[in-house]
Amino acid sequence: MNVMAKPEPKSLERAIQDVIYRACLFLDEEKFSEWLGLCASDFKYRITTYSPEIRKQMTWYEQDISGLKGMIEMLPKHNTDHGRLTRHATNYAVELDPAQNEARATTSFACYRTMLDGINSHIDSGETQLFLIGKYYDRFRLGEEGPKFVERNVFLDTRRLDKGSHYPI
Amino acid sequence: MTAQMKTVAYDSGQAIPFVDSRIYSDRSIFEEELEKIWKKVWLATVHESELPEPLDFRTLTVAREPIVIVRGSDNIVRAFLNVCPHRGNLILRQPAGSLTVAEPSGNANHMTCMFHAWQFDCFGRCVDIPRAKAGYQERLKKEDVKLRQLPCEVAHGGFVWLSLDANPGPLSAYIGQAFDIMKQELDTEPLTVFHYHKAIIPSNYKLWHDTNSEFYHDYMHYFNRATSMQQKGYFERKYTAFPNGHCTVGSMEVKYDAYQGASDRVLSFPGMPRNGWKMVDLFPGATYNIRGSSLRVDTMTPLGADRVMIEFRGLGLKRDTPDEQAQRVRDHNTIWGPFGRNLHEDLLGITGQGVSMRPGSTPRHILHGRREDNTIHDEIGMRHFYGEWSRRMERSPSDPFLNAQVAAE
Repeated sequence: MNVMAKPEPKSLERAIQDVIYRACLFLDEEKFSEWLGLCASDFKYRITTYSPEIRKQMTWYEQDISGLKGMIEMLPKHNTDHGRLTRHATNYAVELDPAQNEARATTSFACYRTMLDGINSHIDSGETQLFLIGKYYDRFRLGEEGPKFVERNVFLDTRRLDKGSHYPI
Repeated sequence: MTAQMKTVAYDSGQAIPFVDSRIYSDRSIFEEELEKIWKKVWLATVHESELPEPLDFRTLTVAREPIVIVRGSDNIVRAFLNVCPHRGNLILRQPAGSLTVAEPSGNANHMTCMFHAWQFDCFGRCVDIPRAKAGYQERLKKEDVKLRQLPCEVAHGGFVWLSLDANPGPLSAYIGQAFDIMKQELDTEPLTVFHYHKAIIPSNYKLWHDTNSEFYHDYMHYFNRATSMQQKGYFERKYTAFPNGHCTVGSMEVKYDAYQGASDRVLSFPGMPRNGWKMVDLFPGATYNIRGSSLRVDTMTPLGADRVMIEFRGLGLKRDTPDEQAQRVRDHNTIWGPFGRNLHEDLLGITGQGVSMRPGSTPRHILHGRREDNTIHDEIGMRHFYGEWSRRMERSPSDPFLNAQVAAE
């Protein structure tokens, strides 16, 4: 993304930022169906990072929309850390591509975990820890229904996730 | 072994073998383990594909000792203490890199201590001491201060094995026949690492190895219950114990499509059925685990009685096309990545054990007593591990302080 590019008209940029922030709120509230409602039917979701240890780009999670739906449906069958994740996001750039009817956005985020049962609930529940930081690299399709996510690359700066997570970031 | 130990010998026929939880929490036992086990045995560390070119390096720590692994200009992989013999500073500070890149304090192709610019080559020889003659006259020469080289071999799927003991005996003798079950998959053709992540967990390292050494905990994993435990062949999987505390787990046909969204594996390794699944557990803290298309290797760095770093690597074949590797990555990460179905559950398991076994917590019995003719829910894997632990530590895991008490009396 060209961060030096001239800002696009506010209205569409705002609409894209609104979708990004609404996605954060839905994910924070674990309203996964509503989150997927912001996505196009060909949506692709990835969590990636770069390892300076093995000096390679890595993909840590990759699903299409049906895979995400399946993952969400199966969550109740899995043991998991029920600490709530909260995303704090700031959209840095939106780049419109009217010719393709698309837009791209770069959003920095920090994701916190407010602990419940991950370690010792008597002692730790209620404590908020920084879980991970990174950037959302999003691609949107622009249409009459408003911008829809067609691609999200959650690029993580944090590579030590300890217990990890079952939840989308 | 003392007569007293014989009376409480672990797994010597008592109805329900157990260990004392203090082996997982006592700080003096942990320090003793570093000396008697972690500084003595051969350990799997990084993979050779992490050092593909001459002068590539990787750094790590074993039993608090900083280590650098370097691929020499002669293409041979060597390990050294990553400590400057001058004032004990760490020499290479990055996790990985190439010595071909010059450092601010030193020349390219050397390992340079940034503190006083002492430089070492890829063979561990000191090649430059600034103003050496002015400061040391004839009392100290470069030849006197080479880096300490460690026993090091590349083996068993291309992993770099090393020992802090100058004379650990041959790696082949330490491993014995433990890799026979996986030899074809590991050593027919070169492998490459496609995944790396690490976790630091507030728990004892042995609790992770215990988890890797028993399958009864499949009750924790819905994925494994659906795709394996409820499938034919699961309860026929057998443990085989080998000298020096290693053991293996035989294969079965996993039915991946029994889990919503999962599907049969397309890729595999030489000699491995596409949906096969086999494991090798190595004393004191490494596991090779192949599920059809991906090999996962766990290595541990114990950080304290109640803290361990676990490194997870995923590997496939070096000759894979990008599409093939991407498929292996997906297969690996849906189960074993940091967002995968099973690994998170496994790590929650030992985190909970760590809560109940903090240093100073009340000693309790931890049962290792399932006996099912060495089949998959038999806890022979753990019992076998603690047989070796007991031999090296000269302590009974079920009564670890008996000798100390007897001596005090």
